[in-house]
Amino acid sequence: MLNIDNIVAGYNTSVALENVSLDIPEGKIVSVVGANGAGKSTIVNAISRLVSVYSGAIRFDGKDITSMRPTQVVELGVVQVPEGRDIFPPLTVEENLRLGFHRLAGRKDAARRYEERFSYVTGLFPILRERLKQRAGTMSGGEQQMVAISRALMADPRLLMLDEPSLGLAPMIVDQIFDILARLRSDGLTILLVEQHADEALKLADYGYVMGTGKVRAKGRGEDLRTDPTLAQSYLGRMAEG
Amino acid sequence: MLIKLSYLLLAGLTNGSVYGLIGLSLSIIYGSSRVINFAQGEFAMLGAMCAFFFMVSASLPWPLAMLAMIVVVVLAALALDYGIYRPLVRRRAAPLTIMIGTLAGAIILYGLAFVVWGPEQKFVPPVLSLEPLRIGFLITNSQQLSLIGLFIFFLMLTWYILYRTRFGLSVRATGVNPRTALLMGIRSERIVQFSFMFSAFISGVAGMMIGPLLGGNVGMGLLLTVKGFMAAIFGGLGSPFAAAAGGLAIGMMEALMAGYGTSLYAEPSIFVFILMVLIVRPYGLLGDYEAERR
Ligand SMILES: Nc1ncnc2c1ncn2[C@@H]1O[C@H](COP(=O)(O)OP(=O)(O)OP(=O)(O)O)[C@@H](O)[C@H]1O
Ligand SMILES: [Mg+2]
Repeated sequence: MLNIDNIVAGYNTSVALENVSLDIPEGKIVSVVGANGAGKSTIVNAISRLVSVYSGAIRFDGKDITSMRPTQVVELGVVQVPEGRDIFPPLTVEENLRLGFHRLAGRKDAARRYEERFSYVTGLFPILRERLKQRAGTMSGGEQQMVAISRALMADPRLLMLDEPSLGLAPMIVDQIFDILARLRSDGLTILLVEQHADEALKLADYGYVMGTGKVRAKGRGEDLRTDPTLAQSYLGRMAEG
Repeated sequence: MLIKLSYLLLAGLTNGSVYGLIGLSLSIIYGSSRVINFAQGEFAMLGAMCAFFFMVSASLPWPLAMLAMIVVVVLAALALDYGIYRPLVRRRAAPLTIMIGTLAGAIILYGLAFVVWGPEQKFVPPVLSLEPLRIGFLITNSQQLSLIGLFIFFLMLTWYILYRTRFGLSVRATGVNPRTALLMGIRSERIVQFSFMFSAFISGVAGMMIGPLLGGNVGMGLLLTVKGFMAAIFGGLGSPFAAAAGGLAIGMMEALMAGYGTSLYAEPSIFVFILMVLIVRPYGLLGDYEAERR
């Protein structure tokens, strides 16, 4: 569904991705793991077109999106849950969800679609229903992550990208969120999951990529990567403990 | 006694409405872009000078003149957006740099107006009558009353747009975090552009209406920017309504001090008072909003 073909990408001052290629097949979860600064977020933001791509191509459904604007990528249904959640703190939970729905809001059947998305999302996270009028910034970290994921799901994404959804959350909440991701996959959603918690992320994933300083160091079935002892030492070592 | 007080309050309300409208305009732009537009008063100046130009020099009837004025002011806002705001944002300039950019914009607008109209005070004709109007013991005129009416109207219009429309929600989201808004598919540059145009429209109308009462000259913009800015930080920059209320309060204080003391001390005393309020409440009298953003 999404295909990254040999891209070089980065920030004006530095190159953060060197010849990275990556494939996300429809209906699967692909996990990208690696240490701090490996370039995981840069991949997500390159797809969202927030980061300059100097060469290579990114295709979605075969269509080249490399020169698109960020809003056009969202329009296609490629939606991200950003690192650190980035909910809108002074706005209510409901307003956050409405903003997520922006992609579909202009359509003819918007009212019906809104109801449909809303009941899907509150089916996944029932507590949101009671918190609609609460300012999102006053919620706990775990609840804020639920708002961030729900907000993205309101857009009815075709590809959902999550950048370290476990960041700063208790293990129990992380498990909960990973369960939800498995549920989303069984509902047919395609997912790109970026994580430092390599073990859990690779266990959940169909396919995995191990990043190290701007390059793909290994790729394969999630389970194979997870159990590969050389990888655990060289690239995942630091995370295996955490 | 009572008559003098009510007269002063009415005058304060009128000037306060203008300061409030400029404060409202400032905080609409601030709300979507985190930038204080130092050219805001120039939009009001353009409003007054265009009223003079189109009604006197071109002798158009006032509705047409107002339409033409709005076109000029909105074009000036677009020039500011395309010429200063956007190029700076795209080069990732800090908000302070952009604010200095808007100050440059103010100086350019002033310079252009100076070339067109020169330095003299112009007689800006009233849209409505300046004939004294007696309501009970109050003496006012329809121009004054219409300014107060416009103040209420624009306040309600802004509230409606920001809090009752999908577009307004996008505006507020962009103000909180433009990058995240972009990830929702919201084009933040469009949102900021709208806020420049809408606030220029409000300020232009305010300038056109206050012109006959204050007199119009090309240098009036700076004073109005300062008053609007004071209004906004006094009330609370984070909320357009707090900023508008701040303007009303400043207008009242000015009028009362000038009426019972001397106008010489009015301005410095108000400055000192606002400073003291800001020491106690750094986010403005009504502003808790701003503190919890980002
Ligand atoms: N805005 C930026 N400007 C310049 N360099 C950046 C910027 N963001 C990231 N980088 C650099 O790009 C490289 C990759 O960063 P990236 O954020 O993709 O890493 P990451 O794998 O997501 O790390 P983490 O696990 O800490 O989130 C790093 O060397 C980083 O310093
Ligand atoms: Mg990252």
